[in-house]
Amino acid sequence: MKNADPAQPAEWLSGVPIKPRWQAHPLLRKLLLLVAAVMTALVIAVPLDVYQQFTFGGVTVIAALWIRRSIAGQIGVMLLVVLSVTASLRYMFWRLSNTLDFDHLLDGILGWGLVLAELYALTILLLGYVQTTMPLKRKPLPLPADIGTWPTIDVFIPTYNEPLSVVRATVLAAQSMDWPSGRLRVHLLDDGRREEFRVFSQAAGAIYLTRPDNSHAKAGNLNAALARTQGEFVVIFDCDHVPTRSFLQLTLGAFLQDKKLAMLQTPHVFYSPDPFERNLNTFRVVPNEGELFYGLVQDGNDLWNAAFFCGSCAVLRRKALLEVGGIAVETVTEDAHTSLKMSRKGYNMAYLAIPQAAGLATESLSAHIGQRIRWARGMAQIFRIDNPFLGRGLTWGQRLCYANAMLHFFYGLPRLVFLTAPLAYLFFGAQIFQASGVMVLTFALPHILLSIATNSRLQGQFRHSFWNEVYETVLAWYISWPVLLALISPKLGKFNVTAKGGIVKENYYDWRMGSPYLVLLLLNLAGLAAGAWRLLAGDGSASTVVINLVWSLYNITIASAAVFVANEASQMRSTPRVNARLPATIHLPNGRTLVCETRDLSTDGVSLALPAETSVKLGEKFNIALSSGSFETVLPGTVVSEGSVIGIEFAALTVTQQRELAQVTFSRADAWLGEWGRSTIDAPLTSLRNVLSFGGANLLRLSLGKGFGMPVKLRRDASPPNHP
Amino acid sequence: MKVIAIVSAKGGVGKTTFSANLSMAMSRAGVPTLAVDLDPQDALHLHFGLSMPCGDGLVEATLTGMDWRHALLQSEFGCDLMPYGQVEEEDREAFEHLLREQPLLLRQRLESLNLPDDAVVILDTPPGPSVYLTQALSAANMALIVVLSDAASYATLPLMVGLIQRYCLNRSDFNDYAYLVNQVDHSRQLNSDVAYVMRTQFGKRALGLVHQDQAIPEALACNQFVCDYDQHSRGAADLKLICEQMLTRLALSYRATA
Repeated sequence: MKNADPAQPAEWLSGVPIKPRWQAHPLLRKLLLLVAAVMTALVIAVPLDVYQQFTFGGVTVIAALWIRRSIAGQIGVMLLVVLSVTASLRYMFWRLSNTLDFDHLLDGILGWGLVLAELYALTILLLGYVQTTMPLKRKPLPLPADIGTWPTIDVFIPTYNEPLSVVRATVLAAQSMDWPSGRLRVHLLDDGRREEFRVFSQAAGAIYLTRPDNSHAKAGNLNAALARTQGEFVVIFDCDHVPTRSFLQLTLGAFLQDKKLAMLQTPHVFYSPDPFERNLNTFRVVPNEGELFYGLVQDGNDLWNAAFFCGSCAVLRRKALLEVGGIAVETVTEDAHTSLKMSRKGYNMAYLAIPQAAGLATESLSAHIGQRIRWARGMAQIFRIDNPFLGRGLTWGQRLCYANAMLHFFYGLPRLVFLTAPLAYLFFGAQIFQASGVMVLTFALPHILLSIATNSRLQGQFRHSFWNEVYETVLAWYISWPVLLALISPKLGKFNVTAKGGIVKENYYDWRMGSPYLVLLLLNLAGLAAGAWRLLAGDGSASTVVINLVWSLYNITIASAAVFVANEASQMRSTPRVNARLPATIHLPNGRTLVCETRDLSTDGVSLALPAETSVKLGEKFNIALSSGSFETVLPGTVVSEGSVIGIEFAALTVTQQRELAQVTFSRADAWLGEWGRSTIDAPLTSLRNVLSFGGANLLRLSLGKGFGMPVKLRRDASPPNHP
Repeated sequence: MKVIAIVSAKGGVGKTTFSANLSMAMSRAGVPTLAVDLDPQDALHLHFGLSMPCGDGLVEATLTGMDWRHALLQSEFGCDLMPYGQVEEEDREAFEHLLREQPLLLRQRLESLNLPDDAVVILDTPPGPSVYLTQALSAANMALIVVLSDAASYATLPLMVGLIQRYCLNRSDFNDYAYLVNQVDHSRQLNSDVAYVMRTQFGKRALGLVHQDQAIPEALACNQFVCDYDQHSRGAADLKLICEQMLTRLALSYRATA
């Protein structure tokens, strides 16, 4: 593969709209680049007094806001990125050269702590721009017309302790994928060695595999299966990720056209809300944590041939996998590490942003945090033992993208620094920022505002401003230590399976999980009081106090929202549920029928919208016919809720009936397309208002001693949703 | 005028009930519709709430040389009806003899009605090969083969296709034939499987299916159109869908031949 020189798009970039408009002589191009570099350096470094800097910053911000409004498309994004990078580098240059002249040891220690956190944030900002400014937006490639040339495929569904009710739909749907029947083998990899699973596999016609021990957990389980199968391609689904019938036909074409393609990843989509969404009541309104990653980051990685394997909903070429010794076992994020190893061997990676499977989100905050700790620890392990900046075989684009994927998880400590930094001055009067308040504002505000505006433009479809600060704040405390530990000694750490399919029976506050944010909240509240006292006593420069007070207020808002996340809202449903309007018919025991339409479906039951002025009785039993296209299945059920939309619970279904149900529900090619990446587009001010009102309302509740109730309903943004 | 022959190789597939329901549905869709009963059982008129021997029917009209226009009955469901009529055995034999001698008799008589261009004539026929079937196929612009999703129906498919090839496919005014699978019950595995096989085999000629639904015989017993009797039933929904399909196909054929 060629190097990713932007002027010379590599072959795998063909089709990406970055063809130069005119061809300059190479020498001229180098000259222009040199001029641009000198000019940029000048803009970054030239000293200005406070009025000049104020004017410069103001003009930059106004220009950015104008661009954001007026210039659509890639050019607008590029201009914003250039302005944002320049403003941020100018701030950091000034910060390093003018504000670190500390008088006291304490000021020095705290001050350097802050500047290091800022350097980290700047690095992530810049890497993020490299990674996401031009997402590849790959399209599926067609398979050859001759079905005889389609390759053989082994599907691996690893499971350890998940209930059969979760695994069943995945196996049946995987078997229902459209592929020549002799060339698709579905394997259930049971590390729990459960009789119930063996019996089910046999009834369903899936291959049941076990191994004598559980060494290396999921990675070991997959490798054991790899040794016992021969298919040209391996497809991996976590046991709760139910694929659609079109999964293989959309993903395999790329492999047949690019013989060096080793891995293609598709998005992880969740049909249930994660703890953030459930506890903050933001499901389908504010994009969740994962949407940024699968909506933009992986697509951006793909441009640099650095999309990486995420453990599920992906296709791998067996030959490439065997060349790196199977799934990596050295780290707890075996998926990303396996990708890195295959990239080093010169294989290509791909990402296709079409949801072709959906799974269960983590069901509680503690499980969610446990999962993120594992990811953070694993990424730190890779950074330590197989650093993407070192070693052979990677392009610079790949090195930067992989590095960002790992460094991203180091945000814990810097985030805690930001959450406590204003306290240094408010409590102790420590001058950790050696500059006047006004000067700080004139440099810092353009940097902050431009990065918000630019990221909102880049990511607005998949991430809402400020909400990710809440996400990060919640996780910061928990991932800081494991990351540090893994950096010191990669061996420290144990794989923990993310529990899925559980239910939270009633609302409760998880005090154990919530306590760090409560402490942060109280500290900042105390800081607020200290600041107020300083103002009244006329102690210190008023502008410095005010800046620190505003900072502290912002921290209080974020911490209040974070505190709410530990307020576990009840969650009754534990099985996949698809929203779909399919034609259905109720077959009453007297032979009469009632035509209706589904509202949602799961493996346990279905909601049906009845025609006006019709009704059925609670507890009534009858058959329900569900159809999708020309396919129709009839399933027995009982009415469990009345109204214009009734709830039906299915009776015990045979394996054949379960398979047919999977075919009309989860297997439909469009099953998961409807809701993914379609949250309202970000408007930073609306987001800020939402977070503020959230944190504020929560704080008020707490201070009035009312404890935690159900969160207020979010205001939807005024801007139209992003689909046509 | 477009003539649709409702045919089947096997008896008891629900042809007459379907013919009546389709006529009513077409008429409800605003299409001038005439239902013609070519079956000596003379049962079609029962579906239109005309239970007593009424008028002369097409046998009497033909044998006495009466203008067919005077033998038409108006039903309360909007469509017109030409019953077979209750006839003596010798009249039936004489009529069938006439049909054998004049293979295009039905076609000519229908043309003589001078129905509007957008009118539809639905011919109900007796099961299996007969002189009535020959007449119907010779007059038809479209043939609809009614089958049940069972092995017996499946086995008789070639017979009917053979007849259609002989009487219809060589005519330029013949659109095409299609299949209707009647009384489908997906809760029975064999029934469901045969329906699936048939649908696959029929391809584009699969017009649709009518599910097993108690509302259909009940509507008949109550002298009501099934869509009025139970508007939310599967049967009513299936019928509306088939009617739409049929009209689409006929409209296409207009354009194709023009």
